[in-house]
Amino acid sequence: MGKKAEILERLGGIAPALRRYSRALCAGAGHTLSDELVQSALQNVGARIRARELRPADLQEARLEAYAALTASAAKRLTEASRPTPRHPPIVHGLAELSLDDRAALLLVSLEGMGYEAAARVLGIQRAALLSGLMRARTALGVVGLPPADAESGARRAASHLRIVK
Amino acid sequence: MPASSIIGEADLHALVDGELDAERRRKVEDHLLTHPADAALVEGWRRQNAALRAAFEPAALEMLPLSLKDAATRTNAPQQGPIETGAIHWGRPGASRPSQRLDEIRASRRRQAALSTVLTLLAGAAVAGLAALVFAGRNEAPRPPVSAVLTQSYAGRASLTYATYASDARPVEIEVSRKGELVAWLAERVGFSRPPNLAGLGLRLIGGRVTPGVAAPAGLLIYERADGARLGLYFERAEAAGAPLAPRAAQGVTAIEWRAGGFAFVLVGPLAQEEMQAAAESAATAIAAAPDEKR
Repeated sequence: MGKKAEILERLGGIAPALRRYSRALCAGAGHTLSDELVQSALQNVGARIRARELRPADLQEARLEAYAALTASAAKRLTEASRPTPRHPPIVHGLAELSLDDRAALLLVSLEGMGYEAAARVLGIQRAALLSGLMRARTALGVVGLPPADAESGARRAASHLRIVK
Repeated sequence: MPASSIIGEADLHALVDGELDAERRRKVEDHLLTHPADAALVEGWRRQNAALRAAFEPAALEMLPLSLKDAATRTNAPQQGPIETGAIHWGRPGASRPSQRLDEIRASRRRQAALSTVLTLLAGAAVAGLAALVFAGRNEAPRPPVSAVLTQSYAGRASLTYATYASDARPVEIEVSRKGELVAWLAERVGFSRPPNLAGLGLRLIGGRVTPGVAAPAGLLIYERADGARLGLYFERAEAAGAPLAPRAAQGVTAIEWRAGGFAFVLVGPLAQEEMQAAAESAATAIAAAPDEKR
C-alpha cells in the first residue's frame, strides 16, 4: 500500500474526533449539520489527496487539513444555523455567544488538545492571533455554570460490591 | 527585573495548554504560588477545559453513521462526465498532464484486473468451503457481529444507551418536573422506580426514559452536573442476561456496574474515576436503603 493510500485509509480513523469538534463548533446548531460538516471535510480532503492537489507528508498533516476544511465550511454554513435551545447545557450557550474564530481557537486547543502552532495552521492565522482569540474566548466563556472546586478531596475507597468494568 | 522574568497572561495560558518548556514552566508555577489571583485564573481555565471535554466527549463515542464511514475514501458524485474512459472518472479536466493520466489509467486497469482475479479466486474458495461445511453437516453458527457482542453485557448496553441519549438535545423522555409520572412509568415498564438522590455530589436528576433491554425493557436516568457533564444510571432485570463480558474500552468514559434487588445497575459518565466511584457508591447506598420494590 502506497503512502497516499495508507493516509486515505487511516483518515477515516479521525472521524470521531472531528465529530466531537464539529458538535462543539456548531454549539447547538443541530447534529445533522454537524455530521454534514464532518462528511464534507473528510470527502474534501480525500478528494484533494487523490487529485494530488494536497500531498500530506503524514496522517497528522492530513488531519490538520481535515480540521481546516471543516472550520472553513462551518464559517459558510453556520450563518443561518439555529441557536441552542434552553435544553442545551450552559457551556453550549456560552460557546454560541463567541465569534466563530474565537470559538474555533478555543476548541482546537482546549477540546482537541492541539498545540498553538497546529491550531494556528488549521485556522490559517499567526500564532499571536491564535493566542489573542484563545484569550478572548476563555475570558468571555468565563466560569459561569462551572461548579466550585471540590473541597472534599478525600474520596472514599471502592466498596467491594462495586466493580469498574471499563 | 529582566523582561524574560515577567510573567504575562500569555504565559498563564501557555502553562494550561502545555506550551512551556520545563524552565519557563517552573518560573510560572513559582509565580502562581505568590499570586493567588493568577492561580485562580489558571484553575478556572483548567476547569473550563474539563467542562468542554465532559460536554462533548460523548460525541466522539457515538456510533458513526453510515454517511461518515469511509467518507475520506469515497468519491463524490462526479460533477462532469467521464473523460478518457467510461470506467474511470476524473474530477476536473486539465487537472494533470494527459500523458501521465493515460499511464495512470493503464496502470490502474492492470491493478484492477489483478485484484479482481484474486478476489474472484478468493470468493470461489469461500463459496466452496462454505458448501463443503454445509454438506458435511457442520452447520456452525456464524460469529455474531461486534455490536451484538458489545450488547451482551450490561455495561456494553449501558454505554450504547448513554452514548445515544446523554449528548442529545432531548436526553430524557420525561423530565424530573413530572417526577410522579416518570416514577409510575418506570415502575410499570421496568419494575424499578427509585431514582437515587445524588445532589450531595452536585448531580441533579434531569429525568429518565425507558430503553430496550434484552428480555424486558430497561431504564435510564440522567443526572447533570452544573458544568453540563451528564451521567447515566442504566438498570435492567439481572436475569435478562448471563454474566457480563469484558466490554470495549472507550476513552473518556467510565462504567461502574453492580447488582441489587434483582437488577443490574450501571453508572456511565465522563467524570474522573474517583468521582464516578463516589457517585456509584451514593447511588448504590440510596437504592439499598429504600424499601424493596414490588416485583
